[in-house]
Amino acid sequence: MDPQDFRFSTQISHLALDIGGTLIKLVYFSANGDNFEESSDGSIVVRSGCSVVEGRLCFAKFETRKIDDCLEFIRFNILHHSSGVKHPNGTAMDKLSVKATGGGAFRFADLFKEKLGILFDKEDEMHCLVVGANFLLKTVPREAFTYLDGQKEFVQIDHNDLYPYLLVNIGSGVSMIKVDGDGEYERISGTSLGGGTFLGLGKLLTKCKSFDELLELSHHGNNRVIDMLVGDIYGGTDYSKIGLSSTAIASSFGKAISDGKELEDYQPEDVARSLLRMISNNIGQIAYLNALRFGLKRIFFGGFFIRGLEYTMDTISVAVHFWSRGEAKALFLRHEGFLGALGAFTSYETQSHNNDLKSYHHTVEREIVNCSDDKIRHMPVTANLNDGETIECSINLV
Amino acid sequence: MAGPGEAEAKSQACACAGGGGGGGERDMAPSAPGTSSIHRSGSRPQLDLSKAEIQGNFEERDPTILLPNQSDDISHLALDIGGSLIKLLYFSRHEDYSNDDDKRKRTIKERLGITNGNLRSYPVLGGRLHFVKFETHKINECLDFIHSKQLHRRDPYPWSSKTLPLGTGVIKVTGGGAYKFADLFKERLGVSIEKEDEMHCLVSGANFLLKAIRHEAFTHMEGEKEFVQIDPHDLYPYLLVNVGSGVSIIKVDGEGKFERVSGTNVGGGTYWGLGRLLTKCKSFDELLELSQKGDNSAIDMLVGDIYGGMDYSKIGLSASTIASSFGKAISENKELEDYRPEDISLSLLRMISYNIGQISYLNALRFGLKRIFFGGFFIRGHAYTMDTISFAVHFWSKGEMQAMFLRHEGFLGAMGAFMSYEKHGLDDLMSHQLVERFPMGAPYTGGNIHGPPLGNLNEKISWMEKFVRRGTEITAPVPMAPSKTTGLGGFDVPSSRGSALRSDASALNVGVLHLVPTLEVFPLLADPKMYEPNTIDLSDQGEREYWLKVLSEHLPDLVDTAVASEGGTEDAKRRGDAFARAFSAHLARLMEEPAAYGKLGLANLLELREECLREFQFVDAYRSIKLRENEASLAVLPDLLEELDSMSEEARLLTLIEGVLAANIFDWGSRACVDLYHKGTIIEIYRMSRNKMQRPWRVDDFDAFKERMLGSVGKQPHRHKRALLFVDNSGADVILGMLPLAREFLRRGTEVVLVANSLPALNDVTAMELPDIVAGAAKHCDILRRAAEMGGLLVDAMVNPGDGSKKDSTSAPLMVVENGCGSPCIDLRQVSSELAAAAKDADLVVLEGMGRALHTNFNAQFKCEALKLAMVKNQRLAEKLIKGNIYDCVCRYEPPSLSQM
Repeated sequence: MDPQDFRFSTQISHLALDIGGTLIKLVYFSANGDNFEESSDGSIVVRSGCSVVEGRLCFAKFETRKIDDCLEFIRFNILHHSSGVKHPNGTAMDKLSVKATGGGAFRFADLFKEKLGILFDKEDEMHCLVVGANFLLKTVPREAFTYLDGQKEFVQIDHNDLYPYLLVNIGSGVSMIKVDGDGEYERISGTSLGGGTFLGLGKLLTKCKSFDELLELSHHGNNRVIDMLVGDIYGGTDYSKIGLSSTAIASSFGKAISDGKELEDYQPEDVARSLLRMISNNIGQIAYLNALRFGLKRIFFGGFFIRGLEYTMDTISVAVHFWSRGEAKALFLRHEGFLGALGAFTSYETQSHNNDLKSYHHTVEREIVNCSDDKIRHMPVTANLNDGETIECSINLV
Repeated sequence: MAGPGEAEAKSQACACAGGGGGGGERDMAPSAPGTSSIHRSGSRPQLDLSKAEIQGNFEERDPTILLPNQSDDISHLALDIGGSLIKLLYFSRHEDYSNDDDKRKRTIKERLGITNGNLRSYPVLGGRLHFVKFETHKINECLDFIHSKQLHRRDPYPWSSKTLPLGTGVIKVTGGGAYKFADLFKERLGVSIEKEDEMHCLVSGANFLLKAIRHEAFTHMEGEKEFVQIDPHDLYPYLLVNVGSGVSIIKVDGEGKFERVSGTNVGGGTYWGLGRLLTKCKSFDELLELSQKGDNSAIDMLVGDIYGGMDYSKIGLSASTIASSFGKAISENKELEDYRPEDISLSLLRMISYNIGQISYLNALRFGLKRIFFGGFFIRGHAYTMDTISFAVHFWSKGEMQAMFLRHEGFLGAMGAFMSYEKHGLDDLMSHQLVERFPMGAPYTGGNIHGPPLGNLNEKISWMEKFVRRGTEITAPVPMAPSKTTGLGGFDVPSSRGSALRSDASALNVGVLHLVPTLEVFPLLADPKMYEPNTIDLSDQGEREYWLKVLSEHLPDLVDTAVASEGGTEDAKRRGDAFARAFSAHLARLMEEPAAYGKLGLANLLELREECLREFQFVDAYRSIKLRENEASLAVLPDLLEELDSMSEEARLLTLIEGVLAANIFDWGSRACVDLYHKGTIIEIYRMSRNKMQRPWRVDDFDAFKERMLGSVGKQPHRHKRALLFVDNSGADVILGMLPLAREFLRRGTEVVLVANSLPALNDVTAMELPDIVAGAAKHCDILRRAAEMGGLLVDAMVNPGDGSKKDSTSAPLMVVENGCGSPCIDLRQVSSELAAAAKDADLVVLEGMGRALHTNFNAQFKCEALKLAMVKNQRLAEKLIKGNIYDCVCRYEPPSLSQM
């Protein structure tokens, strides 16, 4: 093989995108400098005809409506870094192919081509999600954790006992996927009440400008002001006969039906809180019911909606715990928001080499202060568990 | 089965002891001891096991449903007080104004083995259930309503007549408000509230409605309602989803066996609550109405939005699938004010309905349930809500499960609370004992709020006049049933937005439920479960529009006739106007929403008209016409009989059938025939018509019938034991057509039972009128006279019917029974107990006339022989039914159906 081709393929594997309805998730590989130098020499050839590049997987995300920020980020942060590598024909920006998934891979294909000269190699969304989740669960230690009553507890997943599980990806909407093995999965359900609903309704109700602002608000709210609780209906007493405590929500936003109170009369914090509980609870319930159908004990929740937010995870966990009477467990992923992007990233290589990657090279996760550099002024302000984290890894190259 | 005499004796005993004898026929026992003038309101020969069940209930000291009719209106009530609506259900009984001294009835009773039943009991009913709604925040209106009807001063056991002293009453209440408003009830009405468990009430209410009301459940897909008949024996298990403020999901396994398996907090309260915050709507209905004009794609993020207009077909999601509810509202530069409230309402509605459908499906799946019934105030018969829920269930279950809805969806809890009274006996009611009627207000209101009741018809008419004039903002009066009509009771007042007709076409009306324990399924139906009375299905739009138009066009003539029948007084004119207005409104309502009153057949439509007339106290619009025609026909009868007697047996039989068909032209229900009347005398028209009866008729089984009657070569026919002749019109039709045929049967030793309407309908002859007609005919005919005497039809006859039958074995009695209805058609699932009793020994059923043989029962199969005779007096029907023309004739003879033999 022509070493130049290796270089080229190294180059494109630096970036994969998951463009959802609300957020763009980006995974890119940052090769360690020395390795990069070596690889640019074309000298590293590992056994089985594989070349290995040491480096880090970096994560970034942008709001889809601010796609220009994303374009700028890619232009300066990634294409810039790799500009040393020329296309064999000498036209660096020409026909650069990048793996992309999510609905936006279709919607924004022209935009990326026009602005960055990037061609999308579209990967199936569901496939990427599953591959990404499988990758994380198998290769990243302490990836999954439970969250109940404010206690976060990491769960060690036995690689041989991973399947089957239910993967719930909460994006703008929610997809529920039964995963039976590598590449074996089925979308069995979903709901339109997802992150988009939270942000959409939240914006209409509170005038919040962003998802994070809304989440922040919800921290300080009290849902009892707006939700109709069992106690509100039964005069403060439990309806214990059917196992409902007086603080259980009988009807989300049910108190807002009372006359005389307008939207302005409610605190945005309380509204945000009720909204968050409504959606989290609903997702938890539908997920549980679907897990029950197939006898799945583990439900992994991912997607940007969760964002490691304690209250969200708590509500989902409580819902799963309540409905399953403790039988089923809600688990969360530290890289929840990047499943699709990771899946797209790993799809650069053939299946066999993906396996190689996982088996030969244990990834090490390391906290990195900031993966963006000074040139990027419009980095999204989203602050959560994932931000600034990278996964140290190496990539096998054919 | 016990013989008639034995049964009578037994019934006397059972009235007191109850329960005792198996297999004997018993009457309902009287209650309310001490009032000797009380009549029993019905008789019920024991015909099958289900009846035995009913009887079993009477082992209690107090009998249940069938109580003596009181002189005053007895009522009782139960409530379901929810967060947003109060559902009130009350029961009333009405005065029995019939008398039991009629010799015909006594004779019939003796002969048919009906024990001391009150044969005029229909339509004086066991009682009525009225369904009423109030908004919870207007609870005072509800209290006023109860107070004005004195509903709270009744004995807690609704079947007792005692009026309680103030301060001692108890009312069954369910719903959260049972706790909240207990003090208010005590203070305002002096009654205590007995709280009933909500879930329990829901389930028992649903069980009752699903079993007792024939087409209570319906599916709703893509705007089309389809009523589903639930087999009461195959009801369980099912999933009941009650969508109130929140949602309860209940698995029901049987009577009293249920479990709340799930629920969701995203329910009606969420829709209304969020909707109020987002749209400033003032009421739930307003919000719902907004959604009708909405476009959810303005706010929801669709799959197409994400995929740039393409489907994500790999996982079966079309471009219009909602990927994220409200997902488009995240856009930066748009505020709440920039979205249309209509779109917001629709997005909300879809989000919540779909979610409910999905969670319900998942729960049904858990337990392997195929049927999911949705009820609760959120649904409200709202088409889009039902469609969305149905879609979700259908989509997720891949068509394996059915989402069904209930016509009385909002009243499940109240119904259950009512059921929780002891000894209500409702459990034992069966669908054939319930008749639902829609009073005049139904089309105007559709079912919302209530005000104080109105006392009489005059106030009702005033209310309607006011309503029609103002068309808006009428909150007060509620018509109350006058004591002598059947059609009224609970009545809903327009909502505040008040156009003349409800604009929300999808809402269903809930009528007044008449409990008629004396009604029975006609025992000769080959397969009662498969029986469908209506030949014409009005769910077909073309048919519906045609018949609504026919009725509409006929209306002015009918009003004139009705007003004239009462002497054309000012009062009659006013009532006539009101009737026209009310009935037109019904028609308009049905045009707009065919399913508004449940499953609609032509028979229902024709009955609605008769009920509407009665509601405005037109007792018998064709009275004078009927009298005149009877007189004229009786005058020519002797000549006709003489002519017939001169014929050979074979010629006579043909002439008789020709005569029945020819005489059937005298029908005031047919526009074409009314025009004919001005062209000659009755006998002229009759003879002309008969002469035109050239065989073969369009449907012509005469030869088969003749062979059955006269035998064939080498084969002697056996005579029929008893023939039931369902008669149609007064005048020539019955006198020159059916009476001579009856006479022929009598002459052959076949007992004849003339089956006629209980109440007037058009110019149809009634069971009340027949004895006089027969008496008139008997003056000129010995055969008829002897038979009528034996049948107890001749008031001054001295013959003891029992003796008569012993003395002369070849002579047979002529009897008259009422059919239990007041419509030109007949639904054989609901007939009087005396007809059911008469049917026991019958081996031939003769149905005559369009209403009974064509509009209904044309396809009915019987266990015995059947002869269906009619002249088709409607071009469209002729084309549709027999591919013929107007004035074509049907003579359909059918041997006993083998399907159930």
